[in-house]
Amino acid sequence: MKLQAFLLWGTDDNKPPEGKAYKPVEPDVLLKLKDLPLKWTSWFEVNRKDFSLAQGETKEVPISEKCKLNLTRYVRHEVEVTLIGKGKEVMKRKQSLPKGEMLVLGGNAPNSTAWLVVLKRLE
Amino acid sequence: MDYNAQLKLQAFLDGELSEAEASEVADLVARDRETAALREELRNTGRALAAFEGGIQLPESREFFWSKVQREIQRLEAPAPKFAPAPLFARWRRLLVPASAFALVFVAAVALIQPVGQAGRTSAADVETALADAGAFTYRDYSAGTTLVWLTYPADNEVAESDEMGTVE
Repeated sequence: MKLQAFLLWGTDDNKPPEGKAYKPVEPDVLLKLKDLPLKWTSWFEVNRKDFSLAQGETKEVPISEKCKLNLTRYVRHEVEVTLIGKGKEVMKRKQSLPKGEMLVLGGNAPNSTAWLVVLKRLE
Repeated sequence: MDYNAQLKLQAFLDGELSEAEASEVADLVARDRETAALREELRNTGRALAAFEGGIQLPESREFFWSKVQREIQRLEAPAPKFAPAPLFARWRRLLVPASAFALVFVAAVALIQPVGQAGRTSAADVETALADAGAFTYRDYSAGTTLVWLTYPADNEVAESDEMGTVE
């Protein structure tokens, strides 16, 4: 199972903050974000990780300095995703993730912005 | 000789004409050879039929034959028997048995058939979410194959003022 994990930043400005080398979000990811009930008009890619997950394997994927994902792959398309922020388990979710589907975790950030952790399955 | 004349001749032979008409036909027979020949032929035919009919007899007595006819007439004229109304239970059973079968098939179909467009997608039974965040909610876009879990993390009191993105980055 090949996966991509993105850390995204959402804002109503059309540019990232000064000094931050954020990239534009991939078009296919952006397209799916627009269908979600998220009010922010612009999204930027803060970080990206590509990795593989074999059946039965557990992997830790750091998304940022303060945030990481713990992933375990079960049978067929099932994965368990744990979001850990500042050393604390924020959320654990087990679901099926077929090829092409995305799991998006998000929350509010200061100054009316938002953060997203997007887990996308490639293969 | 026309048809009406032939009929008149037959009636003459049967004795069914009035005196005046019978006299006319007798004169015609005497004058006309064709009419005389037809008269002879009709007479011979009549005699042959009378001899033939005389030999027919019923194999049973007359009274027995007519009693059979009478019974058949009565049977045909008898009113159709009225059907007694079925007991209430029997009537309900006739309705409930097919209705129960249909309901069973319907329930089985609902249980077995996957929702359209969701083959291979996440179903509620496949999802387990443990949230330390009581204010979180989940949104599923089935057509795009995207699941959004919105958290209240990071809490406002954990946000570092210098961070543009709160405590996530």
